[in-house]
Amino acid sequence: MFKYTVKRILYFFPTLIAISFLAFGLSKCTPGDPANNCEDSSSLAAMNNCDIEYQRRAQLFGLTGPSFYFELTSKAYPDTLHKIIQKDKRENWETLISHYGNWEQISDYKNAIQATQLKLFEIPDSIGKESIKKIKKELNFLPILSKDKVITSRINKILKTYNNTPTLKKYLSKEISGLENSYKNIKAEATPSQLYIPTIHWYGFGNQYHNWITNFIVGDFGTSYKTLRPVASEIKDAIFWTFLMMILSIFVAYLTAIPLGVFSAKNRGLRFDKITTLTLFMLYSLPSFWIATMLVVFFTTPEYGSWTDLFPSIGLGDLPSDAPFWSRFWETASHLILPVLCISYNSLAFISRQMRGGMINVIQQDYIRTARAKGLDENQVIWKHAFRNSLFPIITLFANVFPAALAGSVVIEVIFNIPGMGKLTLASIFEQNYPVVFAILMLAAVMTMVGMLVADILYSVADPRVSFDKK
Amino acid sequence: MIFGKNKEGKVLEILGEQEQGQSYWARVKRRFQKNKLAKWSLRLLIGIFLIALFSDFIANEKPLYCKIEGKTYFPILKQYAVDVGLSKWDTKFYQTPWQDHDYENVIMPPIPYSHFTQDKKNVQFVSPFGNQNVPSNRYWHWLGTDQFGRDVLAGMIRGTRVAMLIGVLSMFIATLIGLFLGSLAGFFGDTRFRISRVRLLLNLIGIVLGYFYAFSARSYTFSVANEKGNFGIELFKSVLIFFGIILLCNLLSKAFERITFFAKTTTLPFDLIIMRLIEIVNAIPGLFLLLAAVTILEKPSIISVMVIIGFLRWTSIARFIRAELLRVRSLEFIEAAEAMGFSDWRIIIRHAIPNAIAPVLITIAFGVASAILIEAFLSFLGIGLDNDEITWGLLLSFARNSTTSWWLAIFPGLAIFVTVTLFNLIGDGLTEALDSKSQ
Repeated sequence: MFKYTVKRILYFFPTLIAISFLAFGLSKCTPGDPANNCEDSSSLAAMNNCDIEYQRRAQLFGLTGPSFYFELTSKAYPDTLHKIIQKDKRENWETLISHYGNWEQISDYKNAIQATQLKLFEIPDSIGKESIKKIKKELNFLPILSKDKVITSRINKILKTYNNTPTLKKYLSKEISGLENSYKNIKAEATPSQLYIPTIHWYGFGNQYHNWITNFIVGDFGTSYKTLRPVASEIKDAIFWTFLMMILSIFVAYLTAIPLGVFSAKNRGLRFDKITTLTLFMLYSLPSFWIATMLVVFFTTPEYGSWTDLFPSIGLGDLPSDAPFWSRFWETASHLILPVLCISYNSLAFISRQMRGGMINVIQQDYIRTARAKGLDENQVIWKHAFRNSLFPIITLFANVFPAALAGSVVIEVIFNIPGMGKLTLASIFEQNYPVVFAILMLAAVMTMVGMLVADILYSVADPRVSFDKK
Repeated sequence: MIFGKNKEGKVLEILGEQEQGQSYWARVKRRFQKNKLAKWSLRLLIGIFLIALFSDFIANEKPLYCKIEGKTYFPILKQYAVDVGLSKWDTKFYQTPWQDHDYENVIMPPIPYSHFTQDKKNVQFVSPFGNQNVPSNRYWHWLGTDQFGRDVLAGMIRGTRVAMLIGVLSMFIATLIGLFLGSLAGFFGDTRFRISRVRLLLNLIGIVLGYFYAFSARSYTFSVANEKGNFGIELFKSVLIFFGIILLCNLLSKAFERITFFAKTTTLPFDLIIMRLIEIVNAIPGLFLLLAAVTILEKPSIISVMVIIGFLRWTSIARFIRAELLRVRSLEFIEAAEAMGFSDWRIIIRHAIPNAIAPVLITIAFGVASAILIEAFLSFLGIGLDNDEITWGLLLSFARNSTTSWWLAIFPGLAIFVTVTLFNLIGDGLTEALDSKSQ
């Protein structure tokens, strides 16, 4: 038993790691650049400020450093590419490398652009202000361009402006020719063969994934792109409602489903059984978001006659937090009735069907016949002898019910406007607030796995014949 | 080879005779037919499939047939030809809306609206029983309209197509993956797959190198192809390169196997590996993964939703196939086939899987139901859809903005409910029909 539990818990970790790879991989594919919220290159100071701000945000969101412990790539790529923090620029250099395969020349070109940019700030404004502005504009484009045609035309524009403004020659001659030559060098000394030599770069523990997962384990889920608050605190506010609804709905589901299942198994084939079986089957197929929508449409508004306005409208009510506890309690409770019903009826039907099946199986066993033969009354046979043994399949269902309640709560929270995890997830998706989305994905995975783990362990407690090896 | 074929035929014949002169499938079919509920569900479902298939001919703003200025047209059929690039519309057809032509003779579809037709005279949620401003009963909005005056019934008929497409194709993907991995796990188990050391090593290296040369090293080609629009061809080339490298590794290992040290075999515990994989996929909260995955797509489409559902739902099929193959594996006819020297693959595909396929049908039926439900759920939340596609979930979600429009709350939801229930009933019927105890 103990050995089984330990073994089961140990198997928990590889699964968790696999899912964390998945979540991290997906989070790396997200479009856009959250660290970039400042575009200003009018003066050297402003540009530096932007760089500092970018670095600060990138660090805050954990976007600095290499992505993973190692990287399979070709010899053409340097292992220092991750030091270029700006996402769009880094990706652009990567594209250039994947075309020409010569990082040395490309980095010369990159440095030439930078040197020209810096030099431009040193030139006093009195000399060709308009030309400097034009050149600056073109230069800002160069680090995010990778197509030969476009780059050449930009460089030609710079050359044209430079040649048309003779006063600039004194300051810029070295930089401009450096820029021109370095780009020509890239094309002249291309080494695409380098791209076909595989290499593995090792980065060690100082990588984004490692930081992300170790922080996740200690409860630091990152920083929200939108509010700049820790994701953990945003989730903490939301998780209370989700958990409350989940626990209530699981409670309701089990409490109703078990007696229903037992009675309908006891009266197998009778009218009661037929009606409940059909009703439960219908309930099982009813999409909860449909029922929820209908309940909201018909029972929360006086639109269709005053008698249908049975429940308060969606949301959680708006009593101030200093109102007396009990009035707040009743307010919340009345708002939670419909959502909890909507989450629970699906699992209720499912559990009840399983309970009925399990009970029918057990009733056919020999030992039940024996119990009856020795003259026990029916209630004792059912509840004492049969019931306990028919509970086994119900316990395993916990593994299904738990994630189902979690998933079901997403849409129910949205429909009933309850500020739980589901609503937070959706809001974050629409706001492109990815850290929240992926933190919730990981949390949901952990919760699902914990549900499975609990179910497995409960099962092995209930039925000692279970062993992990024979599964 | 011919000899083997003959023998195989004989074995099958003998097996067939053993089944009391009646084939397995005939018996299943007979038992399924006995279940009235399941039988009628199947018939209704075929009806829904037909609606999905012919949705363009049922609800369309274009006429089925019309005659203008002495010329006859079949606009709906023509639309198909235009879509595949075989034909072009006359200018008058895209300059004038369909309802404004002077038809000499016209036959409209049963519902003379397309899902995107905006009836300007009936905007802002017109009830089926309300005051509809229509020329005749022929143009009545039987299930009302939405905010923009689009016909709800036409939308629902169009939605049938999306639902069926999602349900069937996602389960098709799931079945392919499930069949492959499940049969590997079930047939070979933990001990039966033996592979020489060098082959194992070279295959692992081959996968890494294949990835490198086929995808990593070709990233520039891909980015160029993406702009030119021949991404598919380049992807196909990459896949070819990948499998070419794997093939090369296997040829190499054949040569290396002559050396005794390399030729020593190790067992590959397929069952253990695949069961672990199933456990991992099962632990992924599917809905949250779908939500997260859809966010990173710049252009969400039905296909991506379909593929993700397919990749999440294969586990139960794999488990069924595995369990069935474990059972079938020990039956005599497999032993017979092995004794006759058939290859493992041949035995799996020709003998083991056909005997294990029956319970998989149940999973597929339930799986289609849940795939339809997930899609409705996503579009209800407004996630992962093309903007111009209409689905049942999307129609239902309109009811949230207008609580007075009960028709938007009831009918699309009813369509989801009925379809899902039909698939579940069929799944139930199959379970009973395949259960040998209920004979």
